[in-house]
Amino acid sequence: MSVQALKKIKITEALNTNIWDVDSRPHITVDYEKCRKLCDKKICTLLCPAGCYTLSDDGILFSYEGCLECGTCRIVCPHEAVKWDYPLSGRGVQYRFG
Amino acid sequence: MGLNMIVAVKWVPNTQIVNIDPTTGTLIREGIPSIVNPHDLNAVELALRLKEKYGGTVTAISMAPPAARAGLEFIMGMGVDRAILITDKVFAGADTLATSYTLAKAIEKLKPYDLLIFGHETIDSSTAHIGAQVASWLKIPYIYYVIDTEYRDGYIFAKRRLEKKIEIYKLPIPCLIAVAMRSNEPRPIKLEYKLRVKLENPLEVWTNNELQLSRACIGLRGSPTRVEKAVPTPTIPRKKMKYEGQDVKEAVKWLVDKLLEEGLKII
Amino acid sequence: MLNIVGKFDVVVVGAGPAGSSAAYTLSKNGFKVVVIERGRTAGSKNLYGGRVYSKPLEEIYPEFKREAPIERWVKRERFSMMVGGELLTLEYYSRNSTSFTAYLSRLAGWMAQKAEEAGAIIVTDVRVDDLYTEDGIVKGIVSGGDVLKADVVVDAEGVNRLILERHGLVPKLLPRQVALGVKETIRLDKQKIEDRFGLLPEEGLAWFIIGNVTGGLPGGAFLYTNTTTVSLGMVVFLEEACKKVQKHVFDILEDLRTSQPFSDILKDGVLVEYGAHLTPEAGLDMAPKKLYTDGLLVVGDAAGFLLNLGYTVRGVDFAAYSGYLAAKTIIKAHSEGNFKAENLSVYQKLLEESFIIRELRRHRKIAKLLRSSELFTTYPEIFVDVARKLFNIEYTSPTLLQSIRESIKGKTSLLSLIVKMLSLVRAL
Repeated sequence: MSVQALKKIKITEALNTNIWDVDSRPHITVDYEKCRKLCDKKICTLLCPAGCYTLSDDGILFSYEGCLECGTCRIVCPHEAVKWDYPLSGRGVQYRFG
Repeated sequence: MGLNMIVAVKWVPNTQIVNIDPTTGTLIREGIPSIVNPHDLNAVELALRLKEKYGGTVTAISMAPPAARAGLEFIMGMGVDRAILITDKVFAGADTLATSYTLAKAIEKLKPYDLLIFGHETIDSSTAHIGAQVASWLKIPYIYYVIDTEYRDGYIFAKRRLEKKIEIYKLPIPCLIAVAMRSNEPRPIKLEYKLRVKLENPLEVWTNNELQLSRACIGLRGSPTRVEKAVPTPTIPRKKMKYEGQDVKEAVKWLVDKLLEEGLKII
Repeated sequence: MLNIVGKFDVVVVGAGPAGSSAAYTLSKNGFKVVVIERGRTAGSKNLYGGRVYSKPLEEIYPEFKREAPIERWVKRERFSMMVGGELLTLEYYSRNSTSFTAYLSRLAGWMAQKAEEAGAIIVTDVRVDDLYTEDGIVKGIVSGGDVLKADVVVDAEGVNRLILERHGLVPKLLPRQVALGVKETIRLDKQKIEDRFGLLPEEGLAWFIIGNVTGGLPGGAFLYTNTTTVSLGMVVFLEEACKKVQKHVFDILEDLRTSQPFSDILKDGVLVEYGAHLTPEAGLDMAPKKLYTDGLLVVGDAAGFLLNLGYTVRGVDFAAYSGYLAAKTIIKAHSEGNFKAENLSVYQKLLEESFIIRELRRHRKIAKLLRSSELFTTYPEIFVDVARKLFNIEYTSPTLLQSIRESIKGKTSLLSLIVKMLSLVRAL
């Protein structure tokens, strides 16, 4: 991805520059019921730096594939709807320049 | 009793990453690590399941540069009993013919074996040749796109999923099966196995000293494949249209209309 | 059913700077050590801002300066307040340097390699799930049903410290205890980096920026120069971010990258990595009640050992040095015959005598001050405004006091500004 001056890029483009070895099994699961019934602010959609949480019609859509394993969602979720762990077998993001 | 199985694995560049330098148009390789070919992990998983069910052994072989050690250690961490890295400068530059010949000769040294399990292709070259060619060198039957396998009365019953039915093939041992991608979930690395790898350093390394293969049949010299010409793929000009609305149903209708305008036929 | 798979003197959880420094020191002293790392390689899960202070590491690793993967020695320190495209900057240049830029992935990899060369076993690709205890005493770790026993466990699991939580040794991590860091690594010609930042070859820049750079969230932005890349990122305090966030954090960072002067400075750059990591921000206020218990020592980010002064951040040296002190503790406890809490309490003592706890204690007040929104919005606005009045002269040149008086009108009183500034200076 070319970082052109003044041209903003999408988060997916930024994530695509990383090295990944994505597991076929998710390492995080979200209790969508809680998101739908209990949560109105849904700050995870703004604070997850990987954009794993997106708004859907009446709740949250979550995808673990681009997860940067930072742990933000686990901590900011006010309803404990996020079951969080690290990926197994060295999978997930592989930082080279961390 | 049990099945003596050999799994072939390839150490491949992680092509899940497409980072292109806009100034040169080339793939940025800087710091991109290699991985075990994902299809081969399905092969390893199937072998380990068969071992759990029927007993026996699982041996992994890989023809690769020395860095592939990391890949073999990874699958030993899944529970493979024995791993052999075939590495020698004289094997470098091999096409599928020379590669399959080298692998077949190595496998002959591992006799007696009952079942060879391969991934059906690799993510870096996608020829899907190696399994078939190895079986041909060894003069044993082979079958591709296998999703699961049973072992009864000295026969392998290999299952293939087609669109509307599942085929079951009966093959005499020894035979070779090539496993369909995502046909199973490779198991996680286990502390016990990975620790043993570190403590016992069990990885075997074979060079051509062990195999004693004629230089005419291996490496670049043993590889008749020549790329005649590389032509850049034609690019389809983009329409650069964007749906600006919010409504998902509207968006689908908009997209279908656009595709119909382009000549899409709905049957 | 748990499967016992081996016995070591010490098991270290995590091959980051803290874990590897503990393992290295212990191995050099003849201990049988295994480090268990969840990443594919040591360092592959590590991410930080970009700068490391060297002295403590030189004490741990004698060959550090010669061998470590150092990118550039920081000779230029820059602190800016930014409002719109206007910057008010304080810069310090010195030929001498005590810190360098580096990729933490590579630096942590190097440390793990040193530990391995000293005799430690590094097991990668394996996630530790829990501590293994017998009669309440930590006797090893559990991973996927396998138990690895040890006389003592060093917990260097990092900021999220799931294991300590699971084991009830710390309460659940709270937004107010951490900050979120996001970082873009942008490849840029070596010559361009040196020309654009005014650096000689091998000289580096560390740049902190506050003001309207974080989308109104308390926090700041940073930029570090490596040999052929520049790291641009920001850190936001998570508790305040929860309340105030209006825009996706990545988009806030993109706003910064594509605004002046960064868009010019980074022209022709190629993004090569985008990452995020939490950073401990509560120091001693988030440390486990005890940094040691029977058979266990807690080091690095998991213990909250990070110092954020607003103009600089120290994490790697704190982490590594705490690992080093944990190793020293274990060596001493071993000579006394057991690893019960009373013998491991030396760790607390060593930490208190070292710069780690002294620094964290000395700077305890700063954490609160750093979060005040005045610091991040009002003051930069005032100071940049003053600078504009002083330097953008058309006909009349105002005096400093005039400019200040005019700039603070409606925002704060001169007295309160002075008091706040003094308290900040005192805290620092």
